Amino acid sequence: MAGRRDEVLRIIFGALESLNQELDEDARVEVGPSTPLFGPEASLDSLSLVSVIVDVETALTLKWDTPISLTDDRAMSREISPFDDVGALTDYVLELLAELAPA
Amino acid sequence: MTHGPTESLRAPLETPSLEAPPRLVGEFVILRALTCDDAPITHRWRLGARARHLNGAAASLEDQARWIASRPTGEFNYMIELVGGPAIGMLSLVNIDLSNRRAESARFLIGDEAAAQGAPAAVEAMKLLYELAFERLGLERIYGLVEERNHLMLKWQKYLGMKEEGRLRRHFFMDGEFVDAVSLGLLAEEYRATSLPRMRSLIALGRPRATGA
Repeated sequence: MAGRRDEVLRIIFGALESLNQELDEDARVEVGPSTPLFGPEASLDSLSLVSVIVDVETALTLKWDTPISLTDDRAMSREISPFDDVGALTDYVLELLAELAPA
Repeated sequence: MTHGPTESLRAPLETPSLEAPPRLVGEFVILRALTCDDAPITHRWRLGARARHLNGAAASLEDQARWIASRPTGEFNYMIELVGGPAIGMLSLVNIDLSNRRAESARFLIGDEAAAQGAPAAVEAMKLLYELAFERLGLERIYGLVEERNHLMLKWQKYLGMKEEGRLRRHFFMDGEFVDAVSLGLLAEEYRATSLPRMRSLIALGRPRATGA
């Protein structure tokens, strides 16, 4: 399980690093397991959030060979948003993978 | 708190009119008509880093005010304001053609990035504009051009349903070089099937959640 978690984290970090390449130096986001993503207390705007969503969905789909959507009704109805921070997104992706692509 | 546009905005008009609604009200943002009083802030935004992928800014504040004053009535030019907060950007619907039921979305700029952080401001602003175009004006198609190096905007527009329809080679001269423009388009059925659900999802992400505390 730790191996899969590390793989998911690598994918999310890759999406954040790709985002940083598009942002001005003073707007770049920290890349780490507790980086806040989106919501009232977070630091991304919706353009940056969509960039992360698209890159993570694309990488997950390629890696596990199954379409994965991060913004369906299920994600929206959770008590804690999957996009609060990198940790919450990692947990959510692992939950989806456990159903769609059991290890 | 409202959770979307007013009901009156959702109902298609019997006879589409080219008079711009002065305000479009959402949950996080309000679109209100651009006026000459907005010249200073919009001029500042247009000189900022985030506007580097747009056409060149007016040379002076006076030029910007003159440009705003000269907008034809057939253009819908809006300022994006946070609800109960400052103006953070601008957005327009131009080249509105009711005969062919199409229009161009243009001049989209979030000038105050810091104020927009953590809020689905850009998404809801675009949602309000699409609702105006597809629901109220009954348009069939929205289109626009994005400078090829504006990767974040291209990714964002495509995620929200726009399809790449072509490429205008060496269409813009920016930063001392010619660059291509990517031509994007969105049909009414694609708006309903793809854009609207995704926009609603992203807007929902901006709402505070119960923590259970």
